[in-house]
Amino acid sequence: MQRYPRWPIHLALMLAGFVMLVPFYWVLKTSVSGENIYAYPPSIVPRGAHLFYYVDVWYSIPFARYFLNSVAVSAIAVAGNVVFNAMAGYALSHGFRGKDVVLLLFLSCMMVPFQATIIPAYLITGRLGLLDSWLGLALPQCSTIICIFVFKASFDAVPRSLIDAARIDGLSEWRIIWHIMMPLSKAAIATNVILAFIWSWNNFLWPLIMTRSADMQTLPLGLARFLSYQEDTTGALYAFCIMVLAPGLLLFLLAQKEFIRGLTSGATKG
Amino acid sequence: MSWRSILLNRFVLVPGAIVVAVVLWNVYVATHNNGIVTGRVVDAAGHPVADATVGLWIFNFTTYEEKERVKTDADGVFRFTNNPSHKIQISAEKPGVGRSQRLPVFLYFRSQDTELAKPLRLAGAG
Repeated sequence: MQRYPRWPIHLALMLAGFVMLVPFYWVLKTSVSGENIYAYPPSIVPRGAHLFYYVDVWYSIPFARYFLNSVAVSAIAVAGNVVFNAMAGYALSHGFRGKDVVLLLFLSCMMVPFQATIIPAYLITGRLGLLDSWLGLALPQCSTIICIFVFKASFDAVPRSLIDAARIDGLSEWRIIWHIMMPLSKAAIATNVILAFIWSWNNFLWPLIMTRSADMQTLPLGLARFLSYQEDTTGALYAFCIMVLAPGLLLFLLAQKEFIRGLTSGATKG
Repeated sequence: MSWRSILLNRFVLVPGAIVVAVVLWNVYVATHNNGIVTGRVVDAAGHPVADATVGLWIFNFTTYEEKERVKTDADGVFRFTNNPSHKIQISAEKPGVGRSQRLPVFLYFRSQDTELAKPLRLAGAG
């Protein structure tokens, strides 16, 4: 078999990676230099870099409160996703009457955009008395169909004999999920955690509609509020973007190995 | 799974390091937020200017407003003890000697104790 040199592939990948990283670098550079984005010629290296735009952002809006709200809502959404999606994924990894219909229903529901269901979601949340609360903010994001399928693919890869052995040993279905399936599905858990966190963290429309008090706003709403009453904001705006992006990026970098494994698990099965 | 492997996990180490950094930063802030701003005023030749009036301007949402005025001592040194802001400007003037430009000062947190690295230089008199 003829072996081709690998360096062209590596070079192409490095170039592609560089191109993808340029916007991140540009945001980071502007956040420490405040340089006008229309400046010509653009400077590659920041001139007179400092961190004072981050300080400006911290004091211009109640950043700590918004951050706490975002963390709390994301934590609830992540916990909900892991628990509910694991249960749904476990059910779908077994045969039962009407399973195909349920799968079809799930797949068809993926085609309905959230904007189309936002009014019923608002009314239900209102009836539950959860408007303007962390739980209400997290509720529509506590389970996502894509993540259910991630769990299903992961559970499908667990040998059936293992589950049968657990049943013979007297474990209930509930304990099979938590003591047998979940420890074998770390990649699926990481994928659920990352996706649920990022979707919840970046969500704008739902918090915009269902929060009433300024104290319950999340970071994306804070960004909009910040923009509305700051004029000369190039540096501060980019600093705000970095502060909003940082937790999601950190989480992804921490768990990227499991994330990639979770997304590709089941992809190579026959 | 041992406690050692749990604690030496990147999912524990990285958040733990962040928490430690936040705690240390807050301790530093709590011990350096007395609102003290000090500096010197000199004339065009670089000599200390006594009895010059120094103004502290603090950022108020969109503009700077004057917060306080103090006088320099015989060595041209001034000292504000009640700065509440993180974004201030300092100006100095003395009739017959001149006035300085407003010097923008950015601080890392509100009321941070700071000493101006460069003196305020009075110029343009008469």
